[in-house]
Amino acid sequence: MAEPIIRLRNLSKSFAGVHAVQSVDLEVAPGERRAVLGPNGAGKTTLFNLIAGAELPSGGSVELFGRDVTYLPAWRRTRLGLARTFQTSRVLAGLSVEDNLYLAALGAVGGHLRLVRNGRDRELRERARRTAERVALADRLGAPARDLSHGEQRQLEVGLAVAAEPRLMLLDEPAAGLSRAERQLLTQLLLSFERSLTLVIIEHDMDVALTVAERVTIMHYGKIVVEGTPAEIRADQRVHDIYLGRTNAA
Amino acid sequence: MIGSYLLARRAVLVAAAIAVALLPVLFSTYVTSAIALPTLWVGLCAASLTFLASYGGMVSLAQTGLFGVAGLLTATLSVEAGLDPWLAALIGVLAATGVGLLFGALASSSTGTYFLMITLALAEISYYLFSAVPAFGLHEGINGVFPPRVLGDPVLHPTTIYYFILALCAAVYLFLRYLVRTPFGIALQGVRDDPLRMTALGYNVRMHRTIAFAIGAAIAGVAGVLSAWTNTRISADSISLNVTISVLEAAVIGGLFRLEGAWVGAFALTILSIYGPAFSDRYATGIGAIFLAIVLLSPGGLVGLAAAVDGRLRGLLASRAVPDAMGPSPSPPAAGG
Amino acid sequence: MASSDGQGNGGRAGATPDRLPAPFPSLAARLVGGGRTGTLVGLALLAIGASWVLYQVLQNGLGDTGNVPNFLIITLNALSLAGLFFLAASGLTLIFGLMKVVNMAHGSLYLLGGYVAWALTTAGVNWWLAVAVATLSAGVVGLLMEQAFLRWNLGQDLRQALITIAVSVILADQMLNYFGGTAQTITPPGELGASIGLGVYGLAYPTFRIFVIGAAVVVGGLLWLWIQRTRFGMIIRAGIDDGPMTSALGVNVPVVFAAAFFVGSCLAGLGGVFGGTVLALAPGQDISFLTSSIVVVIIGGMGSLGGTAVGALLLAFVEAYSQVYLPSGYAPYSMVVTFILVAAVLALKPTGLFGRAS
Repeated sequence: MAEPIIRLRNLSKSFAGVHAVQSVDLEVAPGERRAVLGPNGAGKTTLFNLIAGAELPSGGSVELFGRDVTYLPAWRRTRLGLARTFQTSRVLAGLSVEDNLYLAALGAVGGHLRLVRNGRDRELRERARRTAERVALADRLGAPARDLSHGEQRQLEVGLAVAAEPRLMLLDEPAAGLSRAERQLLTQLLLSFERSLTLVIIEHDMDVALTVAERVTIMHYGKIVVEGTPAEIRADQRVHDIYLGRTNAA
Repeated sequence: MIGSYLLARRAVLVAAAIAVALLPVLFSTYVTSAIALPTLWVGLCAASLTFLASYGGMVSLAQTGLFGVAGLLTATLSVEAGLDPWLAALIGVLAATGVGLLFGALASSSTGTYFLMITLALAEISYYLFSAVPAFGLHEGINGVFPPRVLGDPVLHPTTIYYFILALCAAVYLFLRYLVRTPFGIALQGVRDDPLRMTALGYNVRMHRTIAFAIGAAIAGVAGVLSAWTNTRISADSISLNVTISVLEAAVIGGLFRLEGAWVGAFALTILSIYGPAFSDRYATGIGAIFLAIVLLSPGGLVGLAAAVDGRLRGLLASRAVPDAMGPSPSPPAAGG
Repeated sequence: MASSDGQGNGGRAGATPDRLPAPFPSLAARLVGGGRTGTLVGLALLAIGASWVLYQVLQNGLGDTGNVPNFLIITLNALSLAGLFFLAASGLTLIFGLMKVVNMAHGSLYLLGGYVAWALTTAGVNWWLAVAVATLSAGVVGLLMEQAFLRWNLGQDLRQALITIAVSVILADQMLNYFGGTAQTITPPGELGASIGLGVYGLAYPTFRIFVIGAAVVVGGLLWLWIQRTRFGMIIRAGIDDGPMTSALGVNVPVVFAAAFFVGSCLAGLGGVFGGTVLALAPGQDISFLTSSIVVVIIGGMGSLGGTAVGALLLAFVEAYSQVYLPSGYAPYSMVVTFILVAAVLALKPTGLFGRAS
């Protein structure tokens, strides 16, 4: 098997005595589509924050692209080829859709402090417009992000990750609050990604998650409970206990 | 109707532009040296604040501290050490930029009101330091700080220096307008909107903030040099928190979110502080009350107010122009200003 | 130069969404949480400073002719200064911690309290009564400001800060009008006006300054009890963490805010009375004490009572010692030491020693 894109070893994070993530070991292979599922409070978002560098772990290590990044600042991880979305949209409210996507493209390649516009920017703007088409925002290019509807903001949120042309994409509940039509659009988009991209997705919507994912990791109380193919997961008794038994998986 | 309004509006703008362009010819020497020059340099300092606030989300109270570093060094170097005024000014501005980098690096992890507090603390500590160290000579003040000879006497013959500073202000204004459309400038606005998102997009947010702060510091430094030159002196009073607050008042009264507002506010403030004392000893209360009213009622300041009135008027006149309009009903908000 | 070293700044760039901070975390937890390197550098800086002071103090022995008697007086000065700083800053941090409002008029309320007490005592009013009236008047003015202007702008931090700056400009000008531009000092009451013997080296020390130290400890203790042990304090602590939630639980948030603003402003006024007795009252003191209070909370961390106490002590000791124990000729540079203190805290732990990501 090829060198994994993500390798987490004994990763832990606690806040004021609460163990949000507990001794997690996880490997994701290049090109894989992985879903991370689990009830609210299972530690999925914290796990993403640890992988992306938004938080530092209490213990354990994070390797990305074969390199130890446990203490690497978040922005440097992005430069290595990581992109992420947030559970609640974090779009740049005062900037236009095009500028949002342009900044996402620029962020991944560098030259952030440039005081002149050049040919590079034309390319990046072109990429921003292409991305806008992919996430169905082509007709909203000039609109300030704050004027977008909830659904459009979710599309832009995903667009910000797409425009960076990453090797690894972490999507945190991209379908949250979307209509059925918007969900289908999203699923098609996720299925259209090339195999050079590795995809990890947190999702409550089983249709989206199990259509896209080839392997599924179930988390509960900060720990990984079970890992397998969608079919194995559907059949697993522990998963049924978690989702149908003690907790509500809203 | 709308046509004549637009014509009148254009006439006012053209008249204002002519007045600014020919000010030393049209008005007395006193007006030029006592009103126009302070308006320009206070406006420049306020513009550095407006730039940081509107594009970087950083409302800094350190601008006069940085302004003081440049003014003080220029004064000390040219008066005490006999350095060429241009060289002294260059060193002063570079020093202000350097201090700006340091302050920026220290404050760059904070936003909003916490940033405001940290910059206030840093500026006040510098102020007390400058006041306490005898070598800086701030206690009595440094007199006889003259601009380079080519610019003429700022009090008796202010024409040349007026055009020099006007050109400088125009250059800074155009530079900032350009800057905010460069990759750096767009990313700065991203940092203003959501630092965490920008970090996730691959930006070193602290570095970005720090550099923007240093650019603001350089502009404030230029204003500090101009202040020392046009007043021909600098003292502790020139860099105290009262001056910081005056610059903040200028920026807010003019409109904290528009660069041109800085000079509008500076003009209003200069007029108030020159003619205010004739009406009342408590004119400072009046300025405070105006400041308060602007913050409470028109966050866009005078420029924002003018734009709103303009939009409203145009909307009103346009709806009248339509033959079957429903009378003078409230007009819809007009687009643009 | 500006890049984050990843050390202790992990959660700083933005609050992490699912963090559950304790309202007043313990020193140990915060320091360890702030990164070991930062703690070590900070402690090393402190140790260097402390050993330099100790060397200066002890180099001429422990006798009457040595530097120890002077050191004791300076230490007491530092403690009373810390008391003043704490009284002024605790009001600021209380208001900020609850409402996220930076009250830039805090220094004006400090000066107002001082002036009211000065005017009353000069007119022959009993000192204790004057203290009470002065404290309450600062509280009332603060409350009026909150009710008239701030209440309508909740959540707009910057606008509120600008409003309080405008109010401070107006108050400063009005106080200049009523109380003049010359420095005034409040005469302490007879029972506190003398000095008491310290029992060592034949030293005596002004009773009033000892009283200020005691008052700061008592006020700090009462505030602590108020916040930790009463229903009102529980609401304040909840409000710090989750305003909308508190509101949803049926707490009358506007009343709580008004009360906190009143108490915070009273504390500023009380600080002004003590400051006007120990030091002086003059235009500019408002800015000076606003700055000190802000530096205290930057060091200690916003919204933390314990942090405010530690910040006040650190700032007061650094200011008092650096004016005396810097190498001769360098006393005017004492502000550099204060700058290093602030810079070190900001560099090593941007949210203050006891602060947390906001």
